[in-house]
Amino acid sequence: MRALRELQFEFMSAVLGGDLERAAGSIIANGVDARRRIAVYIHNAEANFLQSLRLCFPAVQRLVGEEYFRYCVGRYRDRRPSPSGDLQHAGAAFPGYLAELHGEDEFRYLSDVARLEWLYHEAETAAPHGRFDVERLASVPPCQHDRLRLRLSPSARLFAAEFPALDIWAANVGSAGEPELIDLAKGPDRLLLARPTHGQVEFHRLSIAEGAFLQQLQAEAELATAIAAATAKAPEFDAGVTLRRFVAADAIVDFA
Amino acid sequence: MHESVQSSRKRTSMPAAAGIGLRAQHHAEVLSNPPAVAWFEAHSENFFAAGGGPIDQLERIRERYPLSLHGVGLSLGSTDPLDGVHLKNLRRAVSRFEPLLVSEHLSWSSVGGRFANDLLPLPYTEEALQHVSARIRIVQDFLERQILIENVSSYLEFACSNIPEWDFLAAVAAESGCGILLDINNIFVSANNHGFDALEYLSAMPRSRVQELHLAGHTQIVARGRELLIDTHDAPVCPAVWSLYREALGLFGPLPTLIEWDADIPALPVLVGEADRANAIIASVHARAA
Repeated sequence: MRALRELQFEFMSAVLGGDLERAAGSIIANGVDARRRIAVYIHNAEANFLQSLRLCFPAVQRLVGEEYFRYCVGRYRDRRPSPSGDLQHAGAAFPGYLAELHGEDEFRYLSDVARLEWLYHEAETAAPHGRFDVERLASVPPCQHDRLRLRLSPSARLFAAEFPALDIWAANVGSAGEPELIDLAKGPDRLLLARPTHGQVEFHRLSIAEGAFLQQLQAEAELATAIAAATAKAPEFDAGVTLRRFVAADAIVDFA
Repeated sequence: MHESVQSSRKRTSMPAAAGIGLRAQHHAEVLSNPPAVAWFEAHSENFFAAGGGPIDQLERIRERYPLSLHGVGLSLGSTDPLDGVHLKNLRRAVSRFEPLLVSEHLSWSSVGGRFANDLLPLPYTEEALQHVSARIRIVQDFLERQILIENVSSYLEFACSNIPEWDFLAAVAAESGCGILLDINNIFVSANNHGFDALEYLSAMPRSRVQELHLAGHTQIVARGRELLIDTHDAPVCPAVWSLYREALGLFGPLPTLIEWDADIPALPVLVGEADRANAIIASVHARAA
């Protein structure tokens, strides 16, 4: 196995690392410079990776422009080459990479937008789930409600950001026209993303209390604990209203 | 030509007619206005997700049409261990969509845990032959079915190769028990890039193993005065590849034939037109042989 494995490491160093000289020595030129032949694979690998990130991060791409997006993706790929034959996971760490690149400058919002786009991708591809069984809940004695553990949909994703990421995202996907200007001082975003049983991913804006409540549900806490976390943030928190809202949205789908 | 809703999942073999590659931008149109094509081929990895719109759409398309699942990411020729997660996802897709054909490539795309996500060529040596054949057997055992292996376009040859590609592919099929998905465009592209005779390649294929053909467009670049063909899947099938396809049908008889178009994807009727052309050639070759 040694020879084949060595050849593969040598060739991969050329394709992903640009180390063409060693690999070129293992190739028949046949009228075309071996490095030119290897370059076809380098180009294909770059293009495939870039395309997978384009599909997941359309708003980031529009915000930074084609050239800088390509540059960022190239550097990201150098740092985090694809770990799978399924490119749909290749962008998982891209938001974190943008935070490293721009965490301290005026483009700090980029990583928030990227994170939102990645959560959208995850919600879009999560396992489906049936709707909440209200009749089954009605059969549970009220004295046991506090100990229920409500379950979020497999597609449910909680998001919090310093910047109005949803407005920025919405202004940069869909229409081809000049995007609306978003005031970054508009404030932080707290969101729930969830894909209804039949439909596309939906965004739900959350109050601080709702965010705390859903975070507890996500951590599989009992209902009483979740309500306590929410009322600690806002004493007027109404658990009944909140439950009805997120059951109707197919975001809360089960209980145990 | 497409199957009725009742019969599509009941078929046990792929029709010996032309199908087209299913791409996301055509899903809705295929469902709302089903085109007259014999079958569809989908990229396996695009349907590895646990759920979501594309999964639901392919379920519905599968009810109406025979389906082939065509993988690009298994990295069969790699010397890394096979990716168990990838295999499980493939098995889930196979179980969910019940494809009539499942195929992958005679290539590798990863080593040391790093993936190029491209179809890299193997050296054609005895070591590589035994290695990739053993891996195909593992995959077939895991999926509990035969898979087809496709010849790839290549842009270089390794100096250590000492088996012609066509003999290598035939030997892999014999060693592993896999079927062969013969990509006619890839033979044409590689024959041009390496200077071998495409007809010799076709003649060396074991007829009983060849179960599917692929057709696609390619692009020409010029490197230092020498022409290289690149398998770009972004154009109509060229006249020379149609001619080679006719030769292949003469050798192998009518076979399921896929029109592949993955970049600069045209409107659905353009793809259906290419499939119609393939069907006309199948019919003419069949009539001539009868």
